[in-house]
Amino acid sequence: MRRLLAIATVVAFASTAQAHQLNVFAFVQDGTVIVETKFSSGKIPVSGEARVLDANSEVILTLPLEEDGTVRFPLDLEVASGGMTIEVTTGEGHDDYWILTPEDIANGSES
Amino acid sequence: MKTTLTTTLAVAALTGTTAFAHYGMIIPNDPMISQEDGRSVQLTMSFSHPFELNGMVLDAPVAFSVTHDGETTDLLGDLVSADVMDQPGYTLDYPLGRPGTYVFAMEPRPYWEPAEDSYIVHYTKTYVSAFDDDEGWDTELGLRTEIVPLSKPFGLWEGNVFQGIVMLEGEPVPYAEVEVEYYNEDLTATVPSELMITQTVKADENGVFTYATPTDGWWGFAALNTAPETIAFEGEEKAVELGAVIWVHFEDWAE
Repeated sequence: MRRLLAIATVVAFASTAQAHQLNVFAFVQDGTVIVETKFSSGKIPVSGEARVLDANSEVILTLPLEEDGTVRFPLDLEVASGGMTIEVTTGEGHDDYWILTPEDIANGSES
Repeated sequence: MKTTLTTTLAVAALTGTTAFAHYGMIIPNDPMISQEDGRSVQLTMSFSHPFELNGMVLDAPVAFSVTHDGETTDLLGDLVSADVMDQPGYTLDYPLGRPGTYVFAMEPRPYWEPAEDSYIVHYTKTYVSAFDDDEGWDTELGLRTEIVPLSKPFGLWEGNVFQGIVMLEGEPVPYAEVEVEYYNEDLTATVPSELMITQTVKADENGVFTYATPTDGWWGFAALNTAPETIAFEGEEKAVELGAVIWVHFEDWAE
């Protein structure tokens, strides 16, 4: 609730996300990582970029958002064993992230 | 800002009054679960006088469900028996699979209240936001009676107003009476008068009511109406009070 970590991250990113905050969510399904994005208004970003970082904060992948605001890529269990962070920046200057924990990856699919 | 007033709860307790309001309760461990908080929410269900922390027996509910993204799931079989305020109640650890607003709702069994010579049925609900997504915060469940939020029912500061529409059988209730009570979790709040344990506001002609909380914490809003049907008690037909209860958390303003 008191999102100290998140706030610190936002500050670090010098985010301008206020009225239309970007929300990022990711999950693993059938060996594929699916990243979903949308603004708090419910609108889908029309452009943007996702960066995938491993547990050592090394960027392992950079992908553009699809037209439906999603990104999909195959799960590499060797790379993802320690978890992954997916950072998304949109053309509107908004950003957010989702951390796929090892438990999330092990669960393997959304509920 | 926890209220520190003159007369203690002990005085109220000594009066032996039964005037305090009954509340069905669904209290999450957190009304706004962020990804850093984990992937589940812990709920505690009870029936009580929440300001006094005076628990009553919560029998197995008739229904308990969660609604998310337009889909309602029966959770009745997942409830775990627990003592809450020294009385039987329930807990539930519910996994949050996706972002958005989860609305938990409970229909209890009719509770016989001899002091009021009537049965009480409080349709109780609360709203939990998952992963910073508030979509669905104004969801109307279609319960027999419910308070439909006009204010987002989480992420409110202490001192903010809460507004809702009182609904009964699918229609707004003009001038409905709404009782408001603070969940006095640590018994630190005290009152100068018993009249202030349960505060009362009335809805307007459209069934809309407004209340501003004086402090942070969980606040229960209960809109009370009388059902057209009766229930027999020892051979005599008794009135049934229908309560539409919503629990809303207000956050501490800390600078």
